[in-house]
Amino acid sequence: MKAIYSIMLIATVAGSFGCKKFLDEDPRGLLSGDAAIADEDGLNAQLSGAYSTLIGSWDQGFATAAAIASTMGGDDVTTHPESNKADFREFDQFNVTSFNARSVALWNGCYKTIQSSNNIINNYATTAGNEDNIKQIVGEAYFLRAFSYYYLVRFWGKIPIITTEVYSPDLLTVARNEITDVYKLIEEDLNKAKDMIGNTKLSSGRINKGTVLAYLADVCLTQTGWPVKNSAKAAEAAGYAKQVMDNKATYGFDLYQGGFLKMFAGGTPEEVFALQTDGNVTENLFYGQSGQPVDIDGWNDFQSEINFFIDFPAGERKDATFLTSVEKNGQTIQWQNFELKHPYYKKFWIQDGNAYTYHSKNPIILMRYAEVLLIYAEAQARSANPDASAYNAINAVRQRAGLGNLTAGLNSDDFIKAVIQERAWEFAAEWHRWFDIVRAEIVQEANANRHANEISLIGNPGDQSKWLLPIPAGDASINPNLK
Amino acid sequence: MKCLLYLALTLFVSLHSFAQSNTVKGAVTDDKGNPLPATSVVEKGTPNGTTTDQNGNFTITVKPNAVLVISSVGHETTEFQLKGQTVVSVMLASAGKSLTDVVVVAYGTQRRTTMTSSQSSISSKDFEGQPVTRIDQALQGRSSGVQVTNTSGAPGSDVRIRIRGANSINGDNGPLYVIDGFVGGDFNIINPDDVADIQILKDAAATAPYGSRGANGVIIITTKKGVKGKTSISFNTRQSLSDVIKKYDKLTAAEYAEVVNQRRQLTGTDPYYTAEQINNFKTNPVKDAQDEIYRRAAGQQYELNLSGGTDKTTYFISGGYQDLQGVIVGSGYKFYNIRSNINTSLSDKLSAYINVNAFVRNNRNTSLRAGTQNAVVESVAWSPSVNVIDADGNPVKTDPLGAQFYNPVAEALHREGLNDNYNANIAGGFLYRIVNGLTFNLQYGVNYSNGEYRGFGDKYVAENVYAGRSTGTSLTLQNINTLNYKATFNGVHNLDLTGVLELQKEKYSGFNIDVRNLIYPAFKWDNLRLADLTGAGAGYSNASLFSLFGRVNYNYDERYLLSATIRRDGSSRFRGDNRYSYFPSVAAGWVISKENFMADQGLFSLLKLTASWGLTGNQAIGAYSTLSTYASLNTTLSADGSVPAILIDRAANPDLKWETTEQKNLGLEMGVLKNRLKARFDYFTKDTRDLLFWVGLPAYTGGGAIMRNVGNVQNKGWELEISGTPVVTEHFSWNSSFNYSAVNNKIRTLADGKAEQTWDSDIGWGATVYPEYLLKVGQPMGAMYGLNYLGTWKPKDEAEAAQFNEKPGDSRYQDVNGDHVIDANDLTIIGYGLPKYTMGWNNTFTYKGLELNILLQGVYGFDKLNFIYAMGMTAYGDFRQPTLADIKNRYVPGVNETSDIPAFSTTNKNYVQSSRFISKGDFTRIKNVSLAYTLPKKLIRNIADIRLFASVTNLYTFTKYSGMDPEAANTGSGSDPAQSFDYGGYPIPRTFTGGITLTF
Repeated sequence: MKAIYSIMLIATVAGSFGCKKFLDEDPRGLLSGDAAIADEDGLNAQLSGAYSTLIGSWDQGFATAAAIASTMGGDDVTTHPESNKADFREFDQFNVTSFNARSVALWNGCYKTIQSSNNIINNYATTAGNEDNIKQIVGEAYFLRAFSYYYLVRFWGKIPIITTEVYSPDLLTVARNEITDVYKLIEEDLNKAKDMIGNTKLSSGRINKGTVLAYLADVCLTQTGWPVKNSAKAAEAAGYAKQVMDNKATYGFDLYQGGFLKMFAGGTPEEVFALQTDGNVTENLFYGQSGQPVDIDGWNDFQSEINFFIDFPAGERKDATFLTSVEKNGQTIQWQNFELKHPYYKKFWIQDGNAYTYHSKNPIILMRYAEVLLIYAEAQARSANPDASAYNAINAVRQRAGLGNLTAGLNSDDFIKAVIQERAWEFAAEWHRWFDIVRAEIVQEANANRHANEISLIGNPGDQSKWLLPIPAGDASINPNLK
Repeated sequence: MKCLLYLALTLFVSLHSFAQSNTVKGAVTDDKGNPLPATSVVEKGTPNGTTTDQNGNFTITVKPNAVLVISSVGHETTEFQLKGQTVVSVMLASAGKSLTDVVVVAYGTQRRTTMTSSQSSISSKDFEGQPVTRIDQALQGRSSGVQVTNTSGAPGSDVRIRIRGANSINGDNGPLYVIDGFVGGDFNIINPDDVADIQILKDAAATAPYGSRGANGVIIITTKKGVKGKTSISFNTRQSLSDVIKKYDKLTAAEYAEVVNQRRQLTGTDPYYTAEQINNFKTNPVKDAQDEIYRRAAGQQYELNLSGGTDKTTYFISGGYQDLQGVIVGSGYKFYNIRSNINTSLSDKLSAYINVNAFVRNNRNTSLRAGTQNAVVESVAWSPSVNVIDADGNPVKTDPLGAQFYNPVAEALHREGLNDNYNANIAGGFLYRIVNGLTFNLQYGVNYSNGEYRGFGDKYVAENVYAGRSTGTSLTLQNINTLNYKATFNGVHNLDLTGVLELQKEKYSGFNIDVRNLIYPAFKWDNLRLADLTGAGAGYSNASLFSLFGRVNYNYDERYLLSATIRRDGSSRFRGDNRYSYFPSVAAGWVISKENFMADQGLFSLLKLTASWGLTGNQAIGAYSTLSTYASLNTTLSADGSVPAILIDRAANPDLKWETTEQKNLGLEMGVLKNRLKARFDYFTKDTRDLLFWVGLPAYTGGGAIMRNVGNVQNKGWELEISGTPVVTEHFSWNSSFNYSAVNNKIRTLADGKAEQTWDSDIGWGATVYPEYLLKVGQPMGAMYGLNYLGTWKPKDEAEAAQFNEKPGDSRYQDVNGDHVIDANDLTIIGYGLPKYTMGWNNTFTYKGLELNILLQGVYGFDKLNFIYAMGMTAYGDFRQPTLADIKNRYVPGVNETSDIPAFSTTNKNYVQSSRFISKGDFTRIKNVSLAYTLPKKLIRNIADIRLFASVTNLYTFTKYSGMDPEAANTGSGSDPAQSFDYGGYPIPRTFTGGITLTF
């Protein structure tokens, strides 16, 4: 029987590690729970996360032509009439369905950034670290949340306001909030950010107090138009813009005079807010092939509308904005002879290194200093009158563009129209035109002057229901209250 | 914790000694005269018994006129009447498919006649001499209730194996493998030539012993052992050639050029091709891109084994090597393995055993990415008018009209993905016969597995040359202690008790590095320093399982059978009260043919009814699933250099618990005409509750998913197995076995009382904006979700079409809610991806030394989503123009107005997620035809047995599926809700194999 006992003993030894500890989990290397943002470095990493989803590649954020496509209802951009661009065309043709695969990139990216921002805003109180540094991080989180909601509310209108980072089942049935409530949150967040953020950007892809003020100005100006139509906001807009202009040196902003095109390669004081890519872990995917003609193996994702180009005032800015000819096999082809017979955008030409690729490390410039000037000009005209300061602001932009001063003595309405038109030229293909024609309720007019070679319309640009996008089908299917 | 409780198992029996009168010595041999060691010899009606030694000899003291019951795994159990003899010799017939043999069951063996569970067997004889290169091929078509789907035709690649359907929505539905007693092995590591026996455990009575891992069925694989006596050396080799069976019918260069021009004309764009160019294409056709990526693939396979034994020790030592090319250029698989199974007797009572299996697997480009960057897809997407290879023999970089930037040949040859697996599995232990009938088995097991991935893409597939490397190592330690007691009382009460304590610990760790812009691309993955780092990561996980199991089998005179089991599992993956669970089962059987009233009939040699009930579980969740986690990444906040960043990944759920499957089974087994015809019928229901489910969260909450226990899925079905010998004469025989299974899968409830829930396959990205599958109460898993295509608008529909801003010739979809807008509200179920019926029919015809085997296999009752066809017809994603010949049949106003393929039109909307691209997947396949010939011994002076064979695999497939193969799919073995999605599945080839086996 000895042998039995010895075997039993072995088994017992083996069995003895079957005690309580045997079933304990040891999640080594896995970041989980509250530990993640318990200290300043973790909070910083979460802020980097909040920025990252604005440039999260093909399906998330602003880094692809999908973001530009979402604004194709404007008269500045269009896409390929056939080929595989059906989802892009829907925007241009005022025929977007909830199926559209391209608008979800912004929806997903903005809401993911909101979640990361919420995590910082709701939990920083227990984070250990330098108080000033934490304040800066939290300020930037407030800004990013406001920025994300600002894009969401302009594209989709009534959207759910989410201010928690923690999932709970009741989130699956939330309803869409009123547009004014969304703007209220945006303004509150920006006002908090304004008081927490320093005057200097900690990195070129981050923000400073000037950035926050510039967005406050923009958000207020937007609310003067459709659908909020709160004209009282114009004075606030002018005030915020003026603060930025008065302190431009403090914030490191200025109207860049080193060449209009060069601005788009990045690194100029013109950048009030620009997301930065390194062409390695992050990329700008709408520079390069995305917006190049197929004649040079481009993808034809987006081009200029023909009449927009024709009407565009000549000058240095026009030359820098449009790609009107390409070299192929040693021959120059003019845009009229391009396969699609449209001019393209030179702005997004890769200026440094191989231009014939879709990988680039260019910045994604979301607000330029020129916009601050034009916000001021318009807001001043809307809240008071087009005084000298308003003229100075727009003329600074026009002069850089190689144009003369704007006709003096315009009444407010004409002046505002002139500023909005100036914005169209200045920010062509930079997302703004679509939002401008919506808030100014000139979607129909802007689309009236369509060249015969443009893709034909399907929906009616005058139909206000077409000015906002349907909630993406994926989310609407989970939460029927969003339909 | 009372972790020593199991010791009490040793106390459940008190030992008796019996009055004895005669000492009998005997020898047991098999039907070839080889001694049979470890054979059980029991005095009938008593607990008195012994086992044979290595020479097959035994000594037992019994009453003079006792009956000895002699049983051994793989052999017919024999009752031997002593009638006073004291020296006996007993020969046990090889069991084959006998109904009375002893079979391997969970944690033990059992005589088949006394079994109350539903369990199927496949013996090595069933696939010997057929070109079986992996275990799944031995399973396919050869057993009821088992569905083997080759989702990929690449050698050594993914395969989906399901026993009695899919229970889990989220979790793996693959069965548990028990290899030579090691629980949770990997079937990939087993060389089929080493296999002696495969058992397929199906109902709860069979699988409940494995508790939380038993819900998907269990496959027990037993490898060959040596037998004492003459040493035997066996060598076999197989050489094969494989070809792709079918290709897509693409437009010719000239046709394509015309199509391109016609589409451009529509939008007022100038023609791309001149008439002259088109004429030129007619006389100088361009080579089809598909012909550039497929090849005739060669394969070779060698196996050498040595087996034998001395007085005390037996051994089986084998080595194998396979080198199989894939039919897509650049793909292939290599396998090396070595096995050593050794058993030795240390004393009369104590024996030790160790089974060591080591293997290396090298997979090269055998898993295709779904959709874009897939050679199969890109070969269809590539413009028929553009050469794939340039004058220098290099891949053409850009197809100006078709595939955007992925050249199919470049995808196959210049994008490399190498998966190497190194694995060692060792299971060994001691078997101690404490007293007659009472044995203790102490087993330790170690499984080491290292997987290494190396990837590289050069300038032909990537703007920035990239390389990456990752490695992961997992180690599983296992200790199983089994105590078994077998006894017979009063001649009719047969008792078999088993107690098990099992401990298991698993640990995984791994890391990865990804770079791009290699300065020296020729270094590929071997110098990752001289490049830009794009990603690096590391991971670790551990999990442990602590289990107790007990079983009581009782039968009265082998006529009334009863079995009860209980297992308690504790898992580290769960918290608090959810950590431990009990998995019981009970079963009963009635052997009607043993009743007195059946004594006089000659028809039924066996007639048995069984019924069982039990609970099993599924550990469908990974370690740490109860915790909320973050994802780690890098991003940029400036143009120079990256910074670390974190993102909330998944939400916490501390309340997670096991999925539990309740299974009921009714079985009827019969043997007719002295078992010349045998049949078994089973009816079962499986209800799986507390389904572990990744519930997708909307993007507005931050996206991702949360794992929850939600819902209930039912599988209900029946299985039939018939085998027999319809014809047998002196020189000729025909053996046939047929199986047919039906499984009806139905979702009974979903999360939060919802009636439906979408399920995203992540495969159609870029073409499907909406999840491609729907989980709906009352419907099966794998229901395809999309728009119902009603054909084209016809001229008479003009007014109605206009309400949709469309015109005749455009696609017409069912407007479910009648709002004249086709959108997400019009989505409906358009197909079913989960197969319902499977069939297998295996026939062996023997004439003297010749043997012909024909295996038919069929799968029925499912639809396929043919995405390549969809893309090739609609110019979506990487397809910028239609490339398939079927586009010629499109609607052309005034010319062909009956076609349901929409016209080229600016108002037409092609949705790939529509019933237009659903195709029936049903198929019947002549899976294998083999002819083998064993040379007469006198021809070769008795030096060796020589056997030659030739075979064809996938000879012919009867199917209406529009794609390359009804089995190939891009939803791999891991996902059951998303099924039969074909977006470039690796095609299944037809293979010719010739081989020779030499045995000395």
